[in-house]
Amino acid sequence: MPETRRDEQKLWLILFQIKAARARLNFLVLQHWLFATLAIALGATALICLAAELLGPLMFLGSAVIVALFALAALIRIARSDLRAGASMAKAARIADERAGLKGRLTTVLMLADAPKPSVLWPYLVEDTYGLRDEYAPARIEPRIVSRAVFGLLAALLLFAAAMPFSAIARGGRHRLPASAMGPPGRVSADIDSLEIRPADPALQPNAEIYADPATLRRLEDKLSAAGNPNRGGGQGLGKLINRARDFANAVQNKLTGRNDLNRPPISLRLTARNQDTTVRNHDRPRGPSSDASGKGGGMAGSLPGSGHASTQGSGSSPGQPPITSLPADQADQLAGNNPASANPDASPPPPGLAPNPLVGGDQESGGGANHGSGSDPAHLFGEASNQPVGSDSFKIAIEAEPSTEASAPGSPGYLPPDVRVPLNQDQYPDEPLARAAVPAGDQLTIKRVFER
Amino acid sequence: MNEAVAANPAETPTISDFARTFRRIQAEIHKVIVGHEQAIEELLSALFAGGHVLIEGVPGTGKTTLVKTLGQALNLSFNRIQFTVDLMPADITGTRVILSGADGRREFTFQPGPVFCHILLGDEINRATPKTQSALLEAMAELQVTVGGTTYPLAPPYFVMATLNPIEMEGTYPLPEAQLDRFLFKVRLGYPGEDELVRIISSATGPDEAAVIPVFAAGEAAARLEGLKRLVREVIVAPPIEQYAARMVRATQPDNSRVLGDMRAPIHVEAVNRYVSFGASPRGALALILGAKVRAMLDGRANISYEDIDRGAPAALEHRIMLNYSAHSDNIDATHIVEQVVKSVRAARA
Repeated sequence: MPETRRDEQKLWLILFQIKAARARLNFLVLQHWLFATLAIALGATALICLAAELLGPLMFLGSAVIVALFALAALIRIARSDLRAGASMAKAARIADERAGLKGRLTTVLMLADAPKPSVLWPYLVEDTYGLRDEYAPARIEPRIVSRAVFGLLAALLLFAAAMPFSAIARGGRHRLPASAMGPPGRVSADIDSLEIRPADPALQPNAEIYADPATLRRLEDKLSAAGNPNRGGGQGLGKLINRARDFANAVQNKLTGRNDLNRPPISLRLTARNQDTTVRNHDRPRGPSSDASGKGGGMAGSLPGSGHASTQGSGSSPGQPPITSLPADQADQLAGNNPASANPDASPPPPGLAPNPLVGGDQESGGGANHGSGSDPAHLFGEASNQPVGSDSFKIAIEAEPSTEASAPGSPGYLPPDVRVPLNQDQYPDEPLARAAVPAGDQLTIKRVFER
Repeated sequence: MNEAVAANPAETPTISDFARTFRRIQAEIHKVIVGHEQAIEELLSALFAGGHVLIEGVPGTGKTTLVKTLGQALNLSFNRIQFTVDLMPADITGTRVILSGADGRREFTFQPGPVFCHILLGDEINRATPKTQSALLEAMAELQVTVGGTTYPLAPPYFVMATLNPIEMEGTYPLPEAQLDRFLFKVRLGYPGEDELVRIISSATGPDEAAVIPVFAAGEAAARLEGLKRLVREVIVAPPIEQYAARMVRATQPDNSRVLGDMRAPIHVEAVNRYVSFGASPRGALALILGAKVRAMLDGRANISYEDIDRGAPAALEHRIMLNYSAHSDNIDATHIVEQVVKSVRAARA
């Protein structure tokens, strides 16, 4: 009886040691899961932060999605493998058998411990296995206390630690920059033909001042109404989707990087019409006195629809005529009432020093260049007076497209102009619009002489 | 008187007794047989596991000498049958003959054949006809012989060793699968190496013959051997090990075997599906476990391990695998098949 009791005690000790080995193995598996999960989360976060600093919105969105997907897949895989790696008693006994070279002793003892006296050799097996207990001590079966996955965690921490200062440096650099350097130039010109109009985000505040001659504004109005038309081309859905993605990515990027696009300085955008198209020519709205002339050579700057104010005569009505300028309101008022002949039959080409600017709209063939060259040609000194109202070509408008239900979060940045062009080439100077004034007949000869010199 | 002879056969042997006896028999055999360590160990394993052995080897490699030496070392009755094409079943099992009694009456009396012994050597068994070969079936499987409606038991231990000559195929009859299956192990005896050959020359051509000392005393050898065989059966097998052996045997059976029907082996071995007509029978699994038990006891263990199964697989399974024509045309033998099976099953275990 005491012999049997001793055998039972030995058996209990053997099983206890297997349990201890199992606990150690499972603790390591738990560590592995924890460290690997943290490492993946940290590494993915660091990569996404770096991408937010370095990449544009769409590239950032794509890379962030890829990184997130990879991280998610890795997390799932690690969780599954660690679940499989968890050791049951039988598995712990098998591992201990293999690592201690016990040739199945522990497995056999474990499996048959509850069997009623499996063999006459059972006491021998228990005694033999008990005698080898030092071989399968938990510390010998699994010497490691900390999982090797901790190295992965350290690597991820290093990556994270490297990414954060980089982000801080980039952020500090942005704060030190002047406000004007953080965004596009304050004054830009854009050709209306290259202008792509999309519905505005209702959550955004207008951040641009747009001025143009009336004809260009009319075309802008046409484009706005066309943009508001739901029956447009098939690419709209994809475009909207991309815009939404860009807005979302931008918002996330701003949160991650601390940028604030609302602090950007307002943009003063001058719209020009480099290529007057039939949209303007075929317009059925009331025109100014020069509306007939403008029909010849492509419409030029004119009055706003229904405004009743003649902006200028259509200098672009015939090739070689000087471009038409729309004046600010104060100048237009000053010169109001003087309206000589609308078209000068003695029109001559502009002087060589006043070459048309193709970017701004100096193309005389198309009748562009409404904003410069007025009065510089002696042949066109005495045209029809400008009767533009105050601020007819320089006023602020807020572009408001149709309200969209797809607004991003409040505080999202506004759209940047899609196509920013340098207004003048190196041979040109920014010109100021001057209204054509009515010159008294007695003074015309004198003035002409001055210019002919 | 040596130690083994002095031991009391009534005592229950221990694992150390078994290992000591086994090593002593091995040593006695090696007095005569040079080399062939693995073959001799497998031979003795089959003996202690209670099975029979098929020895395959080219002529002159000591097959007959090995068996004779074993009989001498065990101090058990030993018979030898030289199988020839005209050998009849009655020549093996015995027959009823008419003998005159003391009173002058004549009656049929059973005259036991050479099969009635403890150790039987069937030399070149494939030279006999299948009918004669089959005469051994009952004796090997059931330890009895039935002649003329009367069953005669064989005295245990009963150990049959049959030799095969793989070279001379003309005038031979391949053993039927049923008989092959009754051999626990198939042992191969190859040509000895140069050093071993030198030792064979010096020992066999000298004036003194090696004297084999019986390990067991006369009269108690059978009892002691049976005691050790019972001890082998006591070796403990964990359920996962049994499953491992079963899985290994199942892996030798091709998926398209019509014997299996819809059953499919859990482990697919490409070589088996391609080259095997019939895999190992359940006797193969028994052979794996019994051989592993002997190996475990030799290692001083009361339990068997996966490694014991792996080591015994070639001897236990090779002769149970029937190859198809593709295997013969591709020069694939059963050894290769068993290697692939063991590798696959071991990999599945890991």
